[in-house]
Amino acid sequence: MGIHGLTKLLGDNAHECIKETKFENYFGRKIAVDASMHIYQFLIVVGRQGDQLLTTETGEVTSHLQGMFYRTTRLLEAGMRPVYVFDGKPPELKRAQLDQRLGRREEADKGLEAAKESGDAEAIERYSKRTIKVTKTHNDECKRLLRLMGVPVIDAPSEAEAQCASMAKAGLVYGVATEDMDCLTFGAPRLIRHLMAPSSAAQPVQEFNLETALARLGLSQSQFIDLCIMCGCDYAGSIRGIGPVRALEYIRKHGSLEKVIEALDPSKYPPPDPYPYKEAAAFFTEPDVTPPEQLPTLKWAAPDVDGLVAFLVGEKNFNEDRVRKAAERITAAKSKATQGRLESFFGPVTVVQNANKAAKEAAARDAAKAAKKKGAAAKPGAAKGGIVKKAPIGKGKK
Amino acid sequence: MLEARLVQGSMLRKVVDAVKDLVSDANIDVSSSGFSLQAMDTSHVSLIAMHLRADAFEHFRCDRPMSMGMSLANLAKVLKCAGSDDIVTLKANDDGDTVTFMFESPKEDRVSDFELKLMDIDSEHLGIPDTDYCATVTMPAGEYARICKDLSSIGDTVVISATKDGVKFTTSGDVGTANVTVRQNTTADKKEDQTIIDLKEPVALTFALRYLTSFAKATPLATHVTLSMTRELPVMVEYAIQDMGHLRFYLAPKIEDEDMEGEDEAP
Repeated sequence: MGIHGLTKLLGDNAHECIKETKFENYFGRKIAVDASMHIYQFLIVVGRQGDQLLTTETGEVTSHLQGMFYRTTRLLEAGMRPVYVFDGKPPELKRAQLDQRLGRREEADKGLEAAKESGDAEAIERYSKRTIKVTKTHNDECKRLLRLMGVPVIDAPSEAEAQCASMAKAGLVYGVATEDMDCLTFGAPRLIRHLMAPSSAAQPVQEFNLETALARLGLSQSQFIDLCIMCGCDYAGSIRGIGPVRALEYIRKHGSLEKVIEALDPSKYPPPDPYPYKEAAAFFTEPDVTPPEQLPTLKWAAPDVDGLVAFLVGEKNFNEDRVRKAAERITAAKSKATQGRLESFFGPVTVVQNANKAAKEAAARDAAKAAKKKGAAAKPGAAKGGIVKKAPIGKGKK
Repeated sequence: MLEARLVQGSMLRKVVDAVKDLVSDANIDVSSSGFSLQAMDTSHVSLIAMHLRADAFEHFRCDRPMSMGMSLANLAKVLKCAGSDDIVTLKANDDGDTVTFMFESPKEDRVSDFELKLMDIDSEHLGIPDTDYCATVTMPAGEYARICKDLSSIGDTVVISATKDGVKFTTSGDVGTANVTVRQNTTADKKEDQTIIDLKEPVALTFALRYLTSFAKATPLATHVTLSMTRELPVMVEYAIQDMGHLRFYLAPKIEDEDMEGEDEAP
């Protein structure tokens, strides 16, 4: 589920860290893709109508394969080199969160039954979205598909986004493609959103830069982790009555979550019980991952066309023409030379901030501060205004 | 305070028309030495570097270096309103957020002025190292534009190889292949038709044709274009702007690679 309200918080307070760019600009880049999250999205989005999913003649679900196959083809065609990372065992800390989700799903199951009986189409739509669950079979089929496509697959010991982040930190990949903001909390230098969105959505790709975010927020990575825990993460509850904006304010003021809790009046803002924030922080700092140097070398091979046809057409009723054409496009893209970037010849780009703009922003900040001192309800972000639209639906996980 | 008066006002329009499709917004930096612009396209594959020397202007005054951010499409709209023989004068205040263009007809019977809003843009700068190029080809600008256009109808990448026999442009696509060879020609009657190849070492590089074609939009600026190439480095495509300065394009080559380990290293 990521971090509550982090996108908006960054948009309001550190919009420089968010860059909108074109999908095509990622040519030649190696990118770690949070596979488990995307499979879930595919199950929700691809070819679903009410509680009916895309299936074979025998009723086996194929939405995940459909999504994975065509979207991955799109990445490969654009010259990207994706590596897919799958979730392992969920960490103990996530137990509470998972139990909650299970509870919600059971509720949704019941709701769906009731809705079907009463024939309420809207309710069927709503509940069926919530009953969707990624099973081991889904994951295994996707892994098989990806291997046939010649794309490397990595099994994370625990959380996939943590594994992705550690690979990006080590420079094995350029960035992480996920919709889950907690990848930044795990320390991924670049988080890429909407990379796997369908081309028909015509959605610009969003890239979040952690370094810029920290600089603009004025926080260290460990303070940023504390901020994310206060906003609400998967591993600890949150303090009732304190949202992202207050969380940022308190972390800036007190320096760490521990000090914030000491300073807060427990009768007004009781921390949840239990509140394993220290454990959560430790997990964000040093998650259970395979160290990058122990990972197998990432290799992108030519697709196994016959294997793909046997699997997708033979077992899963895909259209043979379309599968063969897609495989052809992957092979064609692979044989092309990679376009170089000027930075790799001339050295890194230096971004010169416009002097006017810097001055204006400083003025806006001062104005906001002054307004606050007067006791007005002006929020720090209000003066500048957020530039980032809210993320679309269907970004959840499990 | 900035004031710059340019007799050949149409030159500005030609420069802007040449670059506006590659870069949408850019900062134009002004200092006592003149106007300069450096900008990259969003994919960081190509770079534009333009310089107009202060002494090329009839009148030039710049008290303090300044950076004027603007939308090049809007700048092109404004410059389009100038007559081809008009004298153009630029004016801006040090802390203003607009720049004024004044167009005067040669007979002084018509004066128009346009105020363009400036934008605050963070500019990305690259340090371009001085390079000793292996091969420098100076050829008629129209010939270069024609080669790019012809080859684009066949393929999307071009191999440019310079040898002692000449410079060969090769492409291939679904319909077939195409080759164009340009040879040294210093005996042509008209200077505009001459081609000069200065070769230290043979070199061959692969490029995306659409960028090279886009650079050819600068053809109206100069009679000649110079391509400078060195092994495994971006090509420089330069148009001289009539005794005033230059417009240079840099384009990163395509690389035949199996696996660029560590290439994606975070900066």
